[in-house]
Amino acid sequence: MNESSILILIGFVFAVLVIYWISIVISVIYRRNRTKRLQKIEMTFAEIVSGYLYNDPNDPLTLTEINKTLKNVGIKKQNKNNIQFLIGLMIRTQRTILGTNFYKLQKLYSQIPPYRVSINKISSWSWYRKARGIREIYEMNQSQYLDEIFKYRNHRNIYVRREAQIALVVFLGWESLRFLPYLKRNMTLWQQIKIVEKLYDHYPKPELKWLHRAYKTERLFGKKLLMRIIRKYELHAETGYIVDNLNHEDYEVRETAIYCLQTFALSKSKISYVKVLFEDITDPTQQGQLLNYLYHNSEMDLDFYMKQLNNASDDLKLSIAEILWNNGYKEKVQEFYYKQYPAETELNVE
Amino acid sequence: MWSSLKEFFSSEAVFLAANYIFFIYGIILMSFYFTGVILASRAIKRNKRKSLFLQVNDIVSATDIPSISVIAPAYNEGLTIIENVKSLLSIQYPYYELILVNDGSKDDSLEQLIEEFQLERRDATFITQPIPTASVKHFYRSKLSKYTHLTVLDKNNGGRADALNAGINFASSELVVCTDADCIIEQDALIKMVRPYLEENEKEIIACGGGIGIANDSVIKNGVLKELRLPENLVPMVQVVEYIRAFLLGRMAWSEINGLMLVSGAFGMYPRKRVIEVNGFDAKTVGEDLELCIRLRMLMEEKKLPYKVVYLPETLCWTEGPPDHSILIKQRDRWARGLWETLKIHRKLFLNPKYRYMGILFYPYWLFFEFGAPIIEFLGVICIIAFAFFGMINWPMAILLFTAAYLIGCVFSTAAIFMYVKNFDHYHKPKQIIELLLAAYLEPFLYHPILVYGQMKGYYKKIFGIKSGWGTMTRKGFKVSDT
Repeated sequence: MNESSILILIGFVFAVLVIYWISIVISVIYRRNRTKRLQKIEMTFAEIVSGYLYNDPNDPLTLTEINKTLKNVGIKKQNKNNIQFLIGLMIRTQRTILGTNFYKLQKLYSQIPPYRVSINKISSWSWYRKARGIREIYEMNQSQYLDEIFKYRNHRNIYVRREAQIALVVFLGWESLRFLPYLKRNMTLWQQIKIVEKLYDHYPKPELKWLHRAYKTERLFGKKLLMRIIRKYELHAETGYIVDNLNHEDYEVRETAIYCLQTFALSKSKISYVKVLFEDITDPTQQGQLLNYLYHNSEMDLDFYMKQLNNASDDLKLSIAEILWNNGYKEKVQEFYYKQYPAETELNVE
Repeated sequence: MWSSLKEFFSSEAVFLAANYIFFIYGIILMSFYFTGVILASRAIKRNKRKSLFLQVNDIVSATDIPSISVIAPAYNEGLTIIENVKSLLSIQYPYYELILVNDGSKDDSLEQLIEEFQLERRDATFITQPIPTASVKHFYRSKLSKYTHLTVLDKNNGGRADALNAGINFASSELVVCTDADCIIEQDALIKMVRPYLEENEKEIIACGGGIGIANDSVIKNGVLKELRLPENLVPMVQVVEYIRAFLLGRMAWSEINGLMLVSGAFGMYPRKRVIEVNGFDAKTVGEDLELCIRLRMLMEEKKLPYKVVYLPETLCWTEGPPDHSILIKQRDRWARGLWETLKIHRKLFLNPKYRYMGILFYPYWLFFEFGAPIIEFLGVICIIAFAFFGMINWPMAILLFTAAYLIGCVFSTAAIFMYVKNFDHYHKPKQIIELLLAAYLEPFLYHPILVYGQMKGYYKKIFGIKSGWGTMTRKGFKVSDT
């Protein structure tokens, strides 16, 4: 390596540095201008929505005026970023409005740009655009595209299929349980929670026939999803499904069952059944969680706790000992721990 | 002695060998950094896209998100303890508990806490100890309903790692967040941190870290970062750049290839059952965060279970960096010792194919480029002095090489600042950006030599067996706004 080649290297590196400086300057200027533009669009949109929803009969806001105003602030077909921002605003506004205004707003949305932008995204090759399109469609409640979206429920891209599954929930409600617990691909906890939340938001009244049909699923995520739905809707009559899964062979299904059970108080007969299942659970942590549930939700059962004290793992023993100790069985705990020592050991106790 | 030294440094072979070693080392390191920039850019872009479909609002009202315990050890932090606890209590997450571990403080921290939060003493007899720790004397819970999620553990002193372990033992949640009592955590940090645990299907998340920022001279109100300002002094100012570079370029890039070996001790989330399985933090090392992360990875490798260590690019935790040179040296001395100890403990990983990439790539990287860099730099300085003394250096060439190396360093720092400015809006004013760039360009002259000195001091202590613990980290404290 000679001096001239190092000089070339220095020149090159310096040029890269200059490019970065220019990029930073552009980025700062762009952000500043963009923020101003977006604020302007937001303000204009807010005025349009309020004017449209609470129209002044003497000076009504016409559709032509609305479209012209939007065009003036940059809502044009070629300005994709502005249109995307407007869609975001529309979704946000729709989420906060209820009653007749909600339907008025939907009517407005169908008459102003962007036209068919979301549905066009679905045919894109990019997972990001496709998933985004589906999201916009269900957020804007465009149920006419359900058939188009339905086929993506098992899509290979996780985000595309997730959004399609949420769309099913939004459009079909409880009937979506015909499909959801039987999907080909696994469902993440996030997705399960989101499905439960969307279902609860849009369809707060349970339709048990769909739930009962879904009980047939053997899919692990399906079982977990159904238990979460039972929990969210506080379906006391359906707790049997949760209890039946307490001793499931899969760790996570058991975990979900124990977790969901915490919401409910069970009848005496069911508690007795849970106590039977307790011994089938092999994991000490899960046993501990269930023990905690039993302690807080049932009457003191000395025989049960004494049996566990003699059989359970060391960590669990301490929890059981604490329960017994706090419930007036100190002598039982002492007796148990004294038994741990050989008979000839002299105990240093008072 | 002198003649042999002269002979050694005047030798053409030694001169050439030294040239080649430093040059090749530099080239490999630059290649890593360059790859890091590409990987980090890709990861940030992907993360941004994914976040559209993982909006916190979608699940914020959910009742079945995992519970989290935030564990914060405190030792003699009486001056700021109340403010710090209030800050940690202001985190927004529906199911979290704060476990503050008073690690045998000799000041009045506990008394202040008892008085401020109306704490009630409870018996600690039945606390299970899956991880052995120094004994827990009592635990305290507040009588006030607004502080039901606060627990204070009072234990005998055992160090930070031991205090964290006591908190982990006490926690009953699925996930634990280990932090420091003096960190300011963003309000929505937990819900963002929990996201990877909820969205991952095929691999188990064994650790998740978030970005950590330097907030010296920033304004805090009611435990929340009200106004982020750039530090006034150069030392913490350069640390802002250093953290941006390390977290945004380094960690993000390693995270992209699942190569993260470190989740920062200031803010890391772990599944409790896995931490217990590996017996918690190692109280014998001062680099307990790195050591735990490596041990968790080893556990998963040994069990042949698919796993991930995740890093979130957003800055979720703000901390106060060392405000001056002397404290910075102490901090880097400790970090260097922690690194030494951890690499020594896990030396069996080195080029061990049983641990796959961890043994073949990640561990050697840490050994040669994280641990080795200060040694190489130190040796480089010695060589320059010696070769200069014996007239072996071609100065025009050396100056050109130095300029090239300096500019390349500037490019990486500028790239990190650019990525941060483009993707986050913490520092968006032109003045702030110019200050950051200037700090980055002054770093090699005014900051880096001190850093190398601190690291070499740590190594020196390890070589000669000089006992040293955590050292006292004097902090100035954040500016607290009353208005």
